Amino acid sequence: MRTLAAILLGRAVSYLTKLFRFGGGSAAPGLFALKIDPGLVAKLSQRIPKNIIITGTNGKTTTARMLAHFTKANGLKVIRNHTGSNLERGIASTLISHYTLNPRPYTLDLGIWELDEAAFNAVAPKLNPDIIVFLNVFRDQLDRYGEIDTVVKHWCQTLKNIPTKTQVLINGDDANILKLASCFKGKVQKFGVKDYKILGESIGHLKEKGDLDFEAKNVKLNGLNGSSFSLSFNRQSSVIRLPVPGIYHIYDALAALACATHLNLPVCRLSNALKTFSPAFGRVEKLPFGYIFLIKNPAGAIQVFETLAPNIKPEDRLLLALNDNIADGTDVSWIWDGEFEKCRVQSAKCRVFVSGSRAYDLAVRLKYAEFNPKQIIVEPDLEKAFKQARVGLKGRLFILPTYTAMLELQSILTKSGLKKQYWEEEN
Amino acid sequence: MTIMKLIIGYLYGDLMNIYGDTGNIIALKKRAEWRGIGVKVKNISAGDKLKKGDVDIFFFGGGQDQIQELVAKDMGESGKGKVIKKEIARGVPLLAICGGYQLLGDFYNLHKGPKLPGIGLFPAYTLASRDRMIGNIVIESMFGRLAGFENHSGKTYLRKGLPLGMVIKGFGNNGKDQTEGCIYKNAIGCYMHGSLLPKNPKLADWLLKKALEVKYGKKVDLKPLNDTLELQARRQVFKKLKCG
Repeated sequence: MRTLAAILLGRAVSYLTKLFRFGGGSAAPGLFALKIDPGLVAKLSQRIPKNIIITGTNGKTTTARMLAHFTKANGLKVIRNHTGSNLERGIASTLISHYTLNPRPYTLDLGIWELDEAAFNAVAPKLNPDIIVFLNVFRDQLDRYGEIDTVVKHWCQTLKNIPTKTQVLINGDDANILKLASCFKGKVQKFGVKDYKILGESIGHLKEKGDLDFEAKNVKLNGLNGSSFSLSFNRQSSVIRLPVPGIYHIYDALAALACATHLNLPVCRLSNALKTFSPAFGRVEKLPFGYIFLIKNPAGAIQVFETLAPNIKPEDRLLLALNDNIADGTDVSWIWDGEFEKCRVQSAKCRVFVSGSRAYDLAVRLKYAEFNPKQIIVEPDLEKAFKQARVGLKGRLFILPTYTAMLELQSILTKSGLKKQYWEEEN
Repeated sequence: MTIMKLIIGYLYGDLMNIYGDTGNIIALKKRAEWRGIGVKVKNISAGDKLKKGDVDIFFFGGGQDQIQELVAKDMGESGKGKVIKKEIARGVPLLAICGGYQLLGDFYNLHKGPKLPGIGLFPAYTLASRDRMIGNIVIESMFGRLAGFENHSGKTYLRKGLPLGMVIKGFGNNGKDQTEGCIYKNAIGCYMHGSLLPKNPKLADWLLKKALEVKYGKKVDLKPLNDTLELQARRQVFKKLKCG
């Protein structure tokens, strides 16, 4: 009874937030419903035949989206917390919105749940997952998550209490993630890239060779268009063409492919499905006049710079936006760990627009990365900066926003008729 | 005129480098280079030896608890702690943030772990606490009003000596006595990330000036630089915290 009351309240909140355009209604309904029935997530999720959890610092949304794409292309009915709302309330909201009053409330095959580093510990046991994916762990918002060692320690404790029937998939190239293998009594498999040392921040980040269960070999990067590699597992090998650029997306793809093979989906059909895959909003999102690359922590930013830098032409422009809201991390010190120097040479002749609530911090960072101060145009108001950056634009505009700046940008794009509202996007 | 050169000694730079504190090294390096002063950054890590005159400015950042244990031990065993103290006594400047600051005091009492010995450079000691002191911080100091970001649970108490400044917004050393950081000779320890020096150029220049004066044994005047962006960045923090 309590559960039902919680669901009804959640639904009402969802209706109201959408009616009054407060947002996509992705967190508030769950927040209210959990107040009435704190056991909601456990009760509702067990009605779904299979549940998969994806956690880590970077790549959760892309991995979940890719896995959803694979499974849907193979006819499975899937739900997931798709608007980047990766706390318990986001999951509760999704479960509530799909609930029906039938004897079998869900006609679903699979739940795909992305959980942030901290929420994982509280929520993972409630979801009784069939598969857990650990993508990576980087320094990110120390004001929220604490230090890497602390994050890994908590994950390890949580894993000790996860039933051994669960399949755990870990990034075999991340030394911190590798430590998790000994915390879990059940089956652990590793994915990774042959001969590539992942960007890491811990000491002794050396890769042990030859024991990856899902391995990307012969990696070829193809500019901003994507990459290709051969996926090797179970002594089979298949060529995968990935329509999103950057090594970091290969890891996301490996995780999604590994999950899909555990769901018994044939690899040839997965590689076929990738042809129609498009990234989530802000994650290398293609616009008519350029691209959006979300940057939210040093490791992610460095990976974006590595992908972007060789492809910048003199007529292109950059728009960087740094906010310091809670969802961005209130500490902007991380920009000093992001190697903005990497973008400097290539963008030597580009105009660089800098925006956001901490625009000047970012402008200083660029100055100390030896960008020419005459190229740097500071405009804290993102809408104004966006308009200025497009005036007289001859090349492409690369927009690099932090999380809340990206949300702001989405609404600016919607307002100017350049794209649909994000909660109306197909997921 | 001879070309002046500086060596920045990054104490345990490979181990103690969280919270973007490397920005301080970048600021020192660039602000020297923009004035035609050559700069080399030297990482001084566990097991390395340190002698008098090896470096002209010390920087010491923050680290995770486990690593701080290792570093505390190494400073004693390798004799680096004693050399650092002697170097500071003859006027070599130093900046230590957070973890580095804690290890340069008398001791740091960890929560469940051991009591980490400091090298006793700053007349201060640190006790672990359950409070996490996080947020933007603004202090009033002899270098004017400084802005940064603090994130610590250790509470530092000065036995004597001078704080770097008094807290206007934020927690500071311990959240109680309004003090932030400590200054002894030309050595500064504090909790301010941000990074601190890029947004507070006057402090960066003071460290450079002291380093050159000690090294070359004469008064040095640094050529002024255009700090418009730096000061605007700092003003953005003041505005956010509604203080000036």
